[in-house]
Amino acid sequence: MGRYEGNPVWDDVVPIPQEEGEGALAQIAYTDEYVEAMGYLRAVMAAKEHSPRVLDLTEHVISLNAAHYTVWLYRASTILALDIPIDKELEWMNEVALENQKNYQIWTHRQTLIDHIFPTLSSDPAAAQAFADAESAFMAEMFEEDAKNYHVWGHRQYIVRKFNLFDSDAELKSIEALLHEDVRNNSAWSHRFFLVFSNPAYTTAGSRATEHDPKIPDAMIDRELAFAQAAAHEAPQNQSAWEYIRGVLRKGGRELATLEGFAGEFVRIPEGGEEDIRSSHALDFLADAWSEKGELDKADMALRLLGEKYDRIRKNYWDWKRGLLRGAKV
Amino acid sequence: MAELKLNIELHTKYWKRCLKSVLPTGYSSNDSSRMTLGFFILSALDVLDQHKKLLSEKERADIRDWILRCQHPSGGFCGSTNHRFPDEYYVDVGQGKELMDPANLAATYFAILALTYVGDLSQVRRRDCLKWLQTLQRDDGSFGELVTTNGTIEGGRDMRYCYIATAIRWMLVGDQISKEELKDDIDVDKLVEHLRSGQTYDGGISESSQHESHAGYTYCAIASLQFLGRLPDPSKISYSDSLTSPNLINVPDIVHWLVSRQVGYHAEDHDGETVSQKRPGPSEQLSLDQLSLQDSECVGINGRCNKPVDTCYVFWVGASLDIVGRSNLIDRNPIRRFLLEETQHQIGGFGQFPGKPPDIYHSYLALAILAIWKEPGLKSFDPALCVSAEQREKINAQRSIALVPTRTYWKHGYSFSIKEDDPNFEKAMAESEDAPDLAGDTSTFSQAVKT
Ligand SMILES: [Zn+2]
Repeated sequence: MGRYEGNPVWDDVVPIPQEEGEGALAQIAYTDEYVEAMGYLRAVMAAKEHSPRVLDLTEHVISLNAAHYTVWLYRASTILALDIPIDKELEWMNEVALENQKNYQIWTHRQTLIDHIFPTLSSDPAAAQAFADAESAFMAEMFEEDAKNYHVWGHRQYIVRKFNLFDSDAELKSIEALLHEDVRNNSAWSHRFFLVFSNPAYTTAGSRATEHDPKIPDAMIDRELAFAQAAAHEAPQNQSAWEYIRGVLRKGGRELATLEGFAGEFVRIPEGGEEDIRSSHALDFLADAWSEKGELDKADMALRLLGEKYDRIRKNYWDWKRGLLRGAKV
Repeated sequence: MAELKLNIELHTKYWKRCLKSVLPTGYSSNDSSRMTLGFFILSALDVLDQHKKLLSEKERADIRDWILRCQHPSGGFCGSTNHRFPDEYYVDVGQGKELMDPANLAATYFAILALTYVGDLSQVRRRDCLKWLQTLQRDDGSFGELVTTNGTIEGGRDMRYCYIATAIRWMLVGDQISKEELKDDIDVDKLVEHLRSGQTYDGGISESSQHESHAGYTYCAIASLQFLGRLPDPSKISYSDSLTSPNLINVPDIVHWLVSRQVGYHAEDHDGETVSQKRPGPSEQLSLDQLSLQDSECVGINGRCNKPVDTCYVFWVGASLDIVGRSNLIDRNPIRRFLLEETQHQIGGFGQFPGKPPDIYHSYLALAILAIWKEPGLKSFDPALCVSAEQREKINAQRSIALVPTRTYWKHGYSFSIKEDDPNFEKAMAESEDAPDLAGDTSTFSQAVKT
């Protein structure tokens, strides 16, 4: 006797077995428990049954195979059909998410339910704020397990957009806290870029991450540059900060050469003497800044130093760039 | 140092086990993507040049039947027989076609590919599949993974779906069939716009616009552009492109991002922690530890900035560089060493990172990148379709079969279609009756046979 067969609650349901046939690819040693639960799931889906026992069944199936792409949809439609309070479901989901760090279906499920209650929520600013805070608290818990979980960061963007947290002090502060923990957390850098440069209050709608946005106030560009420069000082060989600096300059329509002096703090190349290089990324930055200014010999020297000495792992790449530079010289 | 060699025999054994024996219970969470695993198994054995030796005609036919059993009555395929209900459940009882468990985009891609190892594409319901594919595209150009009975497109915004959609369209010759026969196609311009907007400030491409760049998604966007014929010409790249061109996919920036994924690997400092989880000590500022001052014997590849190395990213990064024609910009030897010495497993296959047991996904992608780099004993490999070059050729030949024009002939008042290269073509056309007067009774035509 299984969990369902012979159980009076499920007496009326005839499970639909899986028709495997011959020649099955990637056959898995299913447990009896799994086979039985799936048979009952197919049966309730065929009958379009949305009931409390279906919630139990879908929970069971998810515990056995969280990547089952339709069980989540079926569970969502059951919750909506039964008008189950969403906060109960969120509580359950929090546990499942903590146990299934890699699962993505759970985040779509979460967003389906949030979309559903959003119209009601948004009519009550205090409730909406409390809800967004609870989501942030949960994500903080997820970040304790893995501060770079891609799905959680995707959800974070969704929450920022949905509840318009672009101007939220708390949001920016929490990113700063994560970067204080780990200045190399590229996910946090990336989120900061999104927060600052997709803020509908002062950016051009639809402006790409890689293009100049003239609507962004100069003060904002200055603030972001100062933040990233401080981080580069803290850990000169942290590529995240250097990429961020380049990204901010491009958003602001500023030339790399405007930060030549700053990058130069990490790179000393005295004439005839031994050079002192503290960051390969600074050298890379200078190569591009010098090329931009037309100082091609200096740029070439920087690329040569990278390939020969300070970033040997990418020697082929630096040589290729030197070749492109020679193309520009002609 | 002993010369490194890929142990073909050992890997063949590993893949043979995956083909012929039942996977352990731990794979249950992959039950919905068995089609993906099935494709990896068939294709790995093809890359190792073994699959013809290992499968009898009967076994090939059985596998073909199993894949076709997963074909969804409304077009597309299901992830495994778990998601495929018995036929009677899909019958239209007056409320439109019953979808039950809808077809899945990834499953469809891998099913079509898998079929080409054990048969051909003639039993794929091409037109249904292409029509279904169109229903998965969102207004912003992106694709979902499935569409429900009420027309809702489900699945996150994910570059993988864009890649898969363009690959399916390519294999099924959707660009031509969709326009000529279905009078509709996916919106290519919107899709390209979506792919391009995924490029982030550091040059890599993310899941969708504004998220963090990621090697898997970068590969998906580049390969999609290749299927669509929209990749910028690699021979026309100049130094200043990377400083000035925001409007196209910026290839020099992508290349910079891709080569930045290489990380020197030293067995002793891999303790399972991510590099960045260690707080930088105060001395880090002054030390040159983090600079790559010496040649590394072993080089691993990560999937995002400041993340630990992982076997599969060798493929996502290496294949991306290959597609944009820049494979030579990385030093393959230390990376190959990383795979063969550190993640190749003694029972065959490859693990996710050193010390991990082998799994189907990482084992396949490791073989794939070694094949792209022309490892002796492996067939040459197509980086965009992710199959051997020979298999891509075979699929390409099957594409053109679909393009042989079809003509109509009439017999006993019914219309039949026949391909121009059919051996009976001449005879059928010669014997054809005149087409009946279309203005008359149309009931005969509604029964016309359509193949
Ligand atoms: Zn991996």
